[in-house]
Amino acid sequence: MSKICCLKLFICYVFLNLIFVDTDAFDIPEGFEKSNHTNNWAVLVDTSRFWFNYRHVANVLSIYRSVKRLGIPDSQIILMISDDMACNPRNPRPATIFNNAHEQINVYGDDVEVDYRGYEVSVENFVRLLTGRVPPDTPRSKRLLTDEGSNILIYLTGHGGDGFLKFQDSEEITSQELADALEQMWQKRRYNEIFFIIDTCQASSMYEKFYSPNILATASSLVGEDSLSHHVDSAIGVYIIDRYTYYVLEFLENVHPNSHKTMSEFLSVCPKHACISTVGVRQDLFKRDPRKVPITDFFGSVRPIIITTDPIDIIEIPKRNKNTENKTTNVVQKRMYLPQFPVHLIPSS
Amino acid sequence: MWASASFVGVLIVIGLPLWWKTTEVFRVALPYDRINAFDTEAHYVTTRLTILACDEKTAADVADEIQKAFDSSDVIRLKIDKHILHPELQNVLNTVADEEEATEKVSEIINLDEPNTFYVVQRKPLNHHVWVGPERLAFFRDSGATSKLIDCLTKWIYQPSVLLGARSELADEARQVRFPSGSGYHIVLSVVHPKPHKLQVDFDAAEAVEDYVGTFVDKLSELHNFTLKSQWLYLLDFEFQARKVMDSSEVGYHYAVRQERLHSLLTKLEERAATHVSEQPTMNLALYVVPCEISPLYIYDQNDKKVESPVQAFMSPKWGGVVLCSPECGAGVYRPRSQLVMGTFVSQLRKLLGITEKVTIDGVHLVPLHSVSPRDWEVDTLLRIRTLEQVSSAERSLKSLAKLLGEISNIVINEDVGASITTAVTNIHDSSELMMAGELRGAHEKSRVAFLAAETAFMEPSLLALLYFPDDQKYAIYIPLFLPIMFPVILSLKNLVLWLKGASPKEKLD
Repeated sequence: MSKICCLKLFICYVFLNLIFVDTDAFDIPEGFEKSNHTNNWAVLVDTSRFWFNYRHVANVLSIYRSVKRLGIPDSQIILMISDDMACNPRNPRPATIFNNAHEQINVYGDDVEVDYRGYEVSVENFVRLLTGRVPPDTPRSKRLLTDEGSNILIYLTGHGGDGFLKFQDSEEITSQELADALEQMWQKRRYNEIFFIIDTCQASSMYEKFYSPNILATASSLVGEDSLSHHVDSAIGVYIIDRYTYYVLEFLENVHPNSHKTMSEFLSVCPKHACISTVGVRQDLFKRDPRKVPITDFFGSVRPIIITTDPIDIIEIPKRNKNTENKTTNVVQKRMYLPQFPVHLIPSS
Repeated sequence: MWASASFVGVLIVIGLPLWWKTTEVFRVALPYDRINAFDTEAHYVTTRLTILACDEKTAADVADEIQKAFDSSDVIRLKIDKHILHPELQNVLNTVADEEEATEKVSEIINLDEPNTFYVVQRKPLNHHVWVGPERLAFFRDSGATSKLIDCLTKWIYQPSVLLGARSELADEARQVRFPSGSGYHIVLSVVHPKPHKLQVDFDAAEAVEDYVGTFVDKLSELHNFTLKSQWLYLLDFEFQARKVMDSSEVGYHYAVRQERLHSLLTKLEERAATHVSEQPTMNLALYVVPCEISPLYIYDQNDKKVESPVQAFMSPKWGGVVLCSPECGAGVYRPRSQLVMGTFVSQLRKLLGITEKVTIDGVHLVPLHSVSPRDWEVDTLLRIRTLEQVSSAERSLKSLAKLLGEISNIVINEDVGASITTAVTNIHDSSELMMAGELRGAHEKSRVAFLAAETAFMEPSLLALLYFPDDQKYAIYIPLFLPIMFPVILSLKNLVLWLKGASPKEKLD
């Protein structure tokens, strides 16, 4: 009897031990909230056209400047701007775009790399960009070359309604299409985490249909609310920035690559009395706690550097066997210049 | 009544099915059951290991120990052959002066060029427990060296942990460094000369790329396609934020740049190098000639310690490498030491392509590399890694695609996409068979075809053909079109039924 008891006890002990070991393995370590992303990307889209939508271009360019300042290189920013406000004939100060009536910062600057401009900003191109199904001759600078370690910041601004976002006054993307595109990205492991910001009217309707994991979404207004603009520059004659983006920028101005600000601070950046609309947040798809996620996980950039200390000590200098075949191909000349003076028409005596 | 019956006939009996059929999302038949039956975690590579020992007992002991050590790994299977060394060869091996010569003697009898094989040969007068050369051959002293031998087989030669990482869904450390599989790569060497008016630099970039990098990639030609390019970039100024440090060198000082600063140099280089205009991924190599004002320049690590290295260089995973070379100023023309510079670049390229760094193991001697070509067994390891990686990736892509087709209804699958999916499926199957059989080269070739086919199938632009015509809008378009016609037809149904029921006696009466 005692033997059986002993055995039982022993089994219990082993079992408990197993459980203990198991829980130990699941113990949340210190760096749990640490992200395991290896690169950062940003997709910044302004979807609206025409001069009176000047503010949307200012919005998107301001965000562009901020992410660039915080370290995301141009090659990893996809900027889509559907109208060229800087060169609009109505612009009293050509080649500039300002996001403030004080006109301190020209957000157009001299190093803006627009990847998709004008009529290239379409629903089709946007969805193709996200899903990676671009035409085969697309250069790499116009592709979203993300992988399973990429954190992507998606910022959209323009005119929206309940369940759609208008592109160029002629077409719209529905929330379902956007959700499906993100799901296709997830299935192809094209991202690690996404931070989705949208500044439009009824903006929160755009993220309600998302169903893919690891997405944190925020919107400038709830369904049924309008997003409002901030102020007019009387010299330019139009509203020049939206309220939500204005306060976001004010916040981002104080962020630098080493700062410890968290995503939850970003999410509460525009209280109702400032924005007038209610800022919406969706975090049920996001696994980490926004209070513990540094803002630089999305706005900054990681670029690991490994110092090389083991050069190969080459003793014999290699000489490659050059291919003897002629590499220069003879291009058949399709066109040629005629002599400037038609001498061939004049019979030589 | 005949009139309304014919309307019903045309609209409901012929029209509706026709409409249903013609507005269906076009999808060719796909081998769904084969795709769903993929078991990515079950793939493994078979490889042949031959043990040649002086006596039977040693051979059996060593073979058993090695077999036991690799039994737990489900990603690689060893097929171990054990033989006794021919007494003549044994004699020769015991008398030759060094291991290089011994290798030569062995290679006279055994073909060491066979891929996916490895030979472990006993040689009694050995200074180390184990000696590993650049060929597919290792010497060991006696059965006491078995644990060392196993160590070197797991850490250097077979690397089951890296193979596991290649097969798994999440990227491991090695996969985060090496470039993802692709159809080919560009390797671009940019010589960056910020102040051409102050210093003359003499460096033949084109020839250096051709000779050093070209020789290196020739050995890897069965793995990838490479395109080699070189360019000069002038006037690319970068603010290193270097500070002056006094030291005991000849000049008496040097400049220090912090490691944290270096990643901005990559951004700066990227702007000008313009390597993203090409379609293929680019491995960037940059030789940065440090301006005279801050020369000599040294990298300081996070702990603010000077990096002890014969060369000031760094690399960034999946991007490329940079060598900073500090000219002696005022000496006229500056000629960078191409052997050192290119040796560094090749060392960086090795890591970017997936040849991991070899950790030192006590008692095991690894012949240091003195040429640009990778070791034979390193190429085998790479082949194994890439084969597993490509097969796993292809399977995951197809599985995801099959899942998406169930979730999202308006994805079109035309004949081309269907064909590439079928190609991928058959090649995955072939590759996995060959892998298990140990035919590594064939397996790799098939896996590459499968990977590229799966990738094109997933990324094919035509999948989005119905982007502007989603399912929910189908009704919004057709109902206003058809409802007005359908109304009288449907209303007439009642009369038609009554007529059919009651018509026959009525007709008879007439």
